[in-house]
Amino acid sequence: MGDRRAFAALYQATSAKLFGICLRVLQDRSEAEDVLQDVYVKIWRNAGQYQVNGLSPMTWLITIARNASIDRLRRRRAMSGDSDGADLQADPAPGPEARAMAASDSARLTGCLGELDERHAQAVKGAYLDGETYADLAVRFDVPLNTMRTWLRRSLLKLRECLSR
Amino acid sequence: MSDALPERDADKALAGEYALGLLPPDEAVAFEARLASEPQLRALYADWAEDLARLTDRIDPVAPPPQIWAGTEERLFGSRGRVRPSAAWSGGWLGTLMGGITATVLVLALIVGADLMQRGPSGPSDPAYVAELVSEERNLILFAAYDAQQGTLFVERQSGAPAQNRTLELWLIAGSDAPVSLGVLPDARAGVIDIPEALRPRLEGAALAVSDEPEGGSPTGAPTGAVLAVAQITNT
Repeated sequence: MGDRRAFAALYQATSAKLFGICLRVLQDRSEAEDVLQDVYVKIWRNAGQYQVNGLSPMTWLITIARNASIDRLRRRRAMSGDSDGADLQADPAPGPEARAMAASDSARLTGCLGELDERHAQAVKGAYLDGETYADLAVRFDVPLNTMRTWLRRSLLKLRECLSR
Repeated sequence: MSDALPERDADKALAGEYALGLLPPDEAVAFEARLASEPQLRALYADWAEDLARLTDRIDPVAPPPQIWAGTEERLFGSRGRVRPSAAWSGGWLGTLMGGITATVLVLALIVGADLMQRGPSGPSDPAYVAELVSEERNLILFAAYDAQQGTLFVERQSGAPAQNRTLELWLIAGSDAPVSLGVLPDARAGVIDIPEALRPRLEGAALAVSDEPEGGSPTGAPTGAVLAVAQITNT
């Protein structure tokens, strides 16, 4: 029962954050509710595997929520034959508040994304938050798929280099 | 890939693609197989997962409707008892705090717990005392070993289980004193019970007993159900 109490407390402390992520990715309340439940079932069942993956606890939770949401989103797109990501919404530009958080990790990422070609930064965000695939990105930026991948891999290296500075 | 990157760079990019969910399925499977055996690759992936998770920082939290928790519990634990998320944590500054730092502690608490459930804890290598509790029909066998350094009692249910909607509770019987509860046995087959400091000196020469109790343990502080087994604690 001790574990279950810890689990209840964990839910209480983190479910609003993870639900926000599910909603952001899925843009659909009832799907987000479904996925959130799957997410906590996964968390409970996989807690024992957590230590080997090297992620911080919050990142582990966020990653589970994000991945589960993206999986659901892609299944939905596959079923509706909508592969071009037409329901994407642009990420709002960082406000002054976000820019002021100079010392935070968030600002570090924002700063490093800002060093990339604007379209490549959009591609990274689109993949992470909107589940865009290389095929989606190639259509969106009107380039051949292989070119898209070569581009993005180079940008990822630049991003990693900046983040490690 | 057609772009020739040096191997280490190729892996950095690959780990990023994996974290973004961009790899084609066959490459993702191959990457996961490598992750299991290559700590360096795991570290590259972990860096990406940490950094990319920051993309969620500006997403506003939204409280999920209450039936989500109820449904989650139902799926995981069936109808066996309910744990209510503590109301004390639901708002105000404490809630904010919980959303930050303390969530980490809670994940760790959960992990330690779940880890014990999956692999099971192991008994102390050099227990000061042990006891084996065997019920009359041998349908319940408990092994207990006391770790004097930690002040913990390792308990392993070697056979048997509590009846449906019942719990097993462990008691210390020292001399002619009334039984003192050591707590209910964990749902898992094996677990560790902290022995309060005041009780530790009383273990020597005492007996352990296990009784059948309602969920959550005896409501009165004394055994209320059948005493299933009693055993003398012996020095090792």
